[in-house]
Amino acid sequence: MKLKNLAIVGFSLLICLSTLAACGGGAQPAATQAPAAAAPTTAPAEQVKLRVLAGQSTTDSGIEDMIDAALAKKHPNIKLEWECVDWGTDFQPKMQVYMQSGLPDIMIGKAQDVSTYGGLGLLADLTGKAYLNEVLEASIPGVTLGGKVLGVTYNALYQGVYYNRKLFTENGWTAPDTIADLQKIIDAANAKGITPFASHMVDTWSIGNVTMQFAVNDVFTKTPDWGDQFRQSKVNFIDSAGYRACYEYNKLIFDNTWKDETFSLEQTSCDARMVQGKAAMKVSGSWSIQNFLDVDESFDFGIFPFPNQSGDSKLLFEPNITFMASAASPSLSAVDNVLDIITGDKALGVQIYDFTKTAPMIKGATPTFPNPSQADIDKYAAQGRIQDVNLGNNQLQWGGFQEENAKDIAEYLQGNISLDDALKASDARRANSKA
Amino acid sequence: MKLHYGKKLNFQFAVLVLPALAVFTGLLIVPMLLGFYYSLTDWNGMTTGMKFVGLGNYARIFGDKYAGEAWKFTLSFTLWNTVIQNIGAIALAVALDSAIKLKKLFRSIFFVPCLISPVVVGFVWLKIFGNALPALFESFGLKASSAMLFGRGDTVLAGLLIANNWQWIGYWALIYLAALQSIPSDLYEAAKIDGAGKTRTFFGITLPLLAPAVTICVVGITVGSLKVYDLLVSSTSGGPGRASSSIIYYIYDTAISGRQYGYGSALSISLIAALLAVAALQAAALRSREVQM
Repeated sequence: MKLKNLAIVGFSLLICLSTLAACGGGAQPAATQAPAAAAPTTAPAEQVKLRVLAGQSTTDSGIEDMIDAALAKKHPNIKLEWECVDWGTDFQPKMQVYMQSGLPDIMIGKAQDVSTYGGLGLLADLTGKAYLNEVLEASIPGVTLGGKVLGVTYNALYQGVYYNRKLFTENGWTAPDTIADLQKIIDAANAKGITPFASHMVDTWSIGNVTMQFAVNDVFTKTPDWGDQFRQSKVNFIDSAGYRACYEYNKLIFDNTWKDETFSLEQTSCDARMVQGKAAMKVSGSWSIQNFLDVDESFDFGIFPFPNQSGDSKLLFEPNITFMASAASPSLSAVDNVLDIITGDKALGVQIYDFTKTAPMIKGATPTFPNPSQADIDKYAAQGRIQDVNLGNNQLQWGGFQEENAKDIAEYLQGNISLDDALKASDARRANSKA
Repeated sequence: MKLHYGKKLNFQFAVLVLPALAVFTGLLIVPMLLGFYYSLTDWNGMTTGMKFVGLGNYARIFGDKYAGEAWKFTLSFTLWNTVIQNIGAIALAVALDSAIKLKKLFRSIFFVPCLISPVVVGFVWLKIFGNALPALFESFGLKASSAMLFGRGDTVLAGLLIANNWQWIGYWALIYLAALQSIPSDLYEAAKIDGAGKTRTFFGITLPLLAPAVTICVVGITVGSLKVYDLLVSSTSGGPGRASSSIIYYIYDTAISGRQYGYGSALSISLIAALLAVAALQAAALRSREVQM
């Protein structure tokens, strides 16, 4: 009987242990870089199927159909097999699995993924490809690693404080440059019974996102290699005035939002409230524009950078949809054909930019959707007050570091831990910070 | 050369078992051993290199306050779930076993939620607690935020218990119902003749004879609750903060998102040990109370 029980327990143990090991298997050795071709190859004569792993932002779902349609017109013999996942939660896990079992031919992530996966030798070298001439030069450095271009950035998201222009105009408020200016607007809004900030902190990623926005302007623009210094223990969160301020800005927002509801309110409801005039501002990114205009296409809004301690903060942009090719793909020529279409078909570009309500990173494809915040973007661009948020994202890992810090900030906001505890917790995960 | 009958039979058995054994070895035993091996390394799940750290990952578990918090939440969730779901399911089963009208319809209605993916259930309840109920509260002049159970650390457990029990009570009730219907009616008749009331009959006959079903349900609910993950993904994402981060959620976050596969494997093995211990203890305790007919 004992033997029988032992066998049952042992069998159960085997099944359970195997579950956790299911993702195991030998790590795939770093693939060798494919030699770059100087010009796109001709279309394949035979039917080719390419696997695509698309790590999508909230704005992107649906662009796969547009790409399929454009591809079918020019290369009907190339079929894309799409696997669309959420970039924030599922892209990295999927990549980890496929690094063991074989990467898809094309991967769509964010520009910051180039440093993660390119550093492991997994991405094909696109240097010298003719279609790179169709991409804005400004986007190339963000996808270049070791002198090799490893990705094609397709669009960009702007990040900052979206504001209800009507409310601002009616109350005589202007875009603040300092925290003191911002505080005046907050006080005035509160006095009028207007919630100063819309927020949806149930989405932990939103806390992580705004914290990095703050950090780029208060930490990384002052010390561009802050993340590397952090890993070398030269700087810490606990004694960084800049990072302390960043965590405190979260409290500023929390104290001036619908604080009883923010941890229950998801993004679409939050954005709808913003459009309905229930809040004056929202620290967010271009991904909110889709929601704003879906609720009310006449909603008038602008954008300004969240002020920093020194009063010189910049509007942030994040290179978003980024195409990468597997170095081990047996169909790199067909991949080139796809990237040719994606960068060269301007009608497709306009269609995608209009759908995602994002800014182009491809030449000659100007979106036609009405973007009330474009005038503000142009103004900051003219002043040279634009900064790539990947300055910070490329140094501090999202999952496992920024996201965990965001949870600590949430605990701090809920009063479960002190600000110092939250900062110390960030220091404690220093070993997991490398992006 | 002729094989002896016994040997021939053994050979036949071996041939029959071999395919299953090969699959079992390749898909279960080998990955299991690899998983255990990874728990002894610092592998991040991405690079080719990994360093052997011995039992370092296991030692780290004891100093990991987030793992402790995740265990605390998981055990609270499990305890409340097991109690509420069993009592609720038995009550529901007894009601469905009575002479109420439309009981087939009710049975179907109660069973439907368990056919829905927990991810969908999580999202539905996020909307209910985040939008629908607050609007309802407001219309009655109550504070809308009182309905937002997922929004505060001190109420998120209650919200998740409501969502989870809404989904699963009907399923377990059907198991109890099947057990109830297998109890011979002459026992009830005898009890009635002896003058036993409804309460006495329930505790004297029904409950003891339900014991085998209780064993199944308690173990099933406990193990299921200890593994809660998908419900959390779409409802609270483990928040606010880490207030509803279960141990599985924490393992996933650590191993996959946090790129600490080695440590995540060690956490998984600690979870398996706990699951086995709980299941074995419960089975031993509950089986001793089962009544054989």
